[in-house]
Amino acid sequence: MNVIELEDVVKRYRSGEEIIEALKGVDFQADRGEMVTVIGPSGSGKSTMLNIIGLLDTPTEGTVRLDGRNVTDFSEDELTEERRSGIGFVFQDFHLLPMLTATENVELPSMWDTSVDRHDRAIDLLERVGLGDRLEHTPKQLSGGQKQRVAIARALINEPDILLADEPTGNLDQDTGETILEELTRLKEEEDVAIVAVTHDEQMLGYTDSTVRIVDGVIQEVVPA
Amino acid sequence: MSVADVLWRFPSALMAWRNLGRNRVRTGLAALGIVIGVIAIASLGMAGAAIQQQATTDLGGLASEVTVSAGEDSEQDGLTDDQVAEMRAIAGDAPVVPQKSNATRLTSRSGEEVFVSVTAVEQANVLYNVTTGDSPDRLESGALISASTAEQLGLEIGDPVEYDGRLYRIRGLIESGGGFGGGGNELVLPLSALSDQQYYDTVTIEASDGDQATAISEDLEERFNEGDEEVISVTNFAGVQENIDSFLNTLNLALLGIGSISLVVASVAILNVMLMSTIERRGEIGVLRAVGIRRGEVLRMILTEAAFLGVIGGLVGALVSLGVGMLMFDLIADDALLVFGWSSFRYLFYGFGFAVFASLLSGLYPAWKAANDRPVDALRG
Repeated sequence: MNVIELEDVVKRYRSGEEIIEALKGVDFQADRGEMVTVIGPSGSGKSTMLNIIGLLDTPTEGTVRLDGRNVTDFSEDELTEERRSGIGFVFQDFHLLPMLTATENVELPSMWDTSVDRHDRAIDLLERVGLGDRLEHTPKQLSGGQKQRVAIARALINEPDILLADEPTGNLDQDTGETILEELTRLKEEEDVAIVAVTHDEQMLGYTDSTVRIVDGVIQEVVPA
Repeated sequence: MSVADVLWRFPSALMAWRNLGRNRVRTGLAALGIVIGVIAIASLGMAGAAIQQQATTDLGGLASEVTVSAGEDSEQDGLTDDQVAEMRAIAGDAPVVPQKSNATRLTSRSGEEVFVSVTAVEQANVLYNVTTGDSPDRLESGALISASTAEQLGLEIGDPVEYDGRLYRIRGLIESGGGFGGGGNELVLPLSALSDQQYYDTVTIEASDGDQATAISEDLEERFNEGDEEVISVTNFAGVQENIDSFLNTLNLALLGIGSISLVVASVAILNVMLMSTIERRGEIGVLRAVGIRRGEVLRMILTEAAFLGVIGGLVGALVSLGVGMLMFDLIADDALLVFGWSSFRYLFYGFGFAVFASLLSGLYPAWKAANDRPVDALRG
């Protein structure tokens, strides 16, 4: 079963006087252990789609299913719970908290949750992305690639079903980008997680299981690898 | 174990602590506003308490004192032994001290003349504070004299003074002044010195407090003065003391009000600082919300930041105020340690509590705003 499913999703929002239709009836799905890359020109609606998959935004019309459950009409608090337990985020500019160490940043999503101690898992994840010797470093003391690896470890801390990546290699050089993609591919299988990545980066296409091209809010083609 | 280790159990506190540490200058300035506010409230409150305490000490004896003299309808020129006995019955436990008075002129060895009022009394210790020498329960021989008068005349303890042809040895020096109308030159002699006066000029009754003094005054009026007759004239200053107390209370409130204004200003500064810092961190708070941090948790984190500012500012402010308070009590009441009395010490708690409360109040809006920002909007920064 698909862990994430969009069915005929429409998203409209108002920008000043005019109403913009960012998504015009999008169908999409991804399964665990699969990496799907979303490409398209800027303004095509890929970020809007990623926000809806990530439960950061709700569709105007259509249905969003998470693991077969319809979450379309969930309240903001319910969506927060779903994000906390099922979705990890990796951003283009890392978005690590500058006053926390690498380990603390990884633990962040589970920090307020006193029922589980994710400290060991945080260290384990950091070791697995090759940062075993950077546990107590703050983001300032880390390179771009290292920061993105911390962000990936943070995205995986709560054992999510879906990892969403918005231009994960966008702020990295070619070589570093490649190691990050290798890292993601490996973790996708180890953690059995669905990865949905939005990118402009052509090198990403070499790692993806399928590619979705979106133009003007409409999915144009699906290219299985 | 570091601060962080302890705070780790309280994620809101840990995050708040780290966030405040990010911009120390701003945090310091925001806390400084609170410090000043607390100092204003606590110091002005304690100043009021110090003035009140000192006023009560200065006037204390006066308010509980009832003074009785012969009224205009009295049959004789003074108060009789029988009347004094009746007053004793009415006054109960309170000491009743009959006095005779006169005036005389004392001359120093160098020929300097000083006018002194002469009081003949047995229980001198009830009426006078003896600063040097002894304070007899019953003054049967010897004399007490105002310290300033003694100095003026070059007299010391053991020296003789002459009154009405007889010599009295000075046993003690009394404090000049105290209460209204004091500060003059006084010579205190045994009752026998004025034995040629048949009646007492005044009777002083020392009640334990203003209320008892008022009660005794009323009883005396009722017993001695029938209708409009004024056989005896009764005076006490309990009412004056009440007026002074109520004036001081008003003064105290006014001082506190002025102090509160500065704390209000400080909390507006905190509101501004918290608002700025949450707006600056909008993207970061969006990340928190995206990774599943609940709205209530974001709210708690920011409120904790505001509370920390209040606690830090409040503590520093209370400590500085304690110093200021000690200085004031040292100046006004000559005893710095009096500041630890509850009537003044409580203003430190008020100041601190007010600081924390004001900070939390100021943090409420920024915290609510940040927590309820839609994550998708917040992430755009």
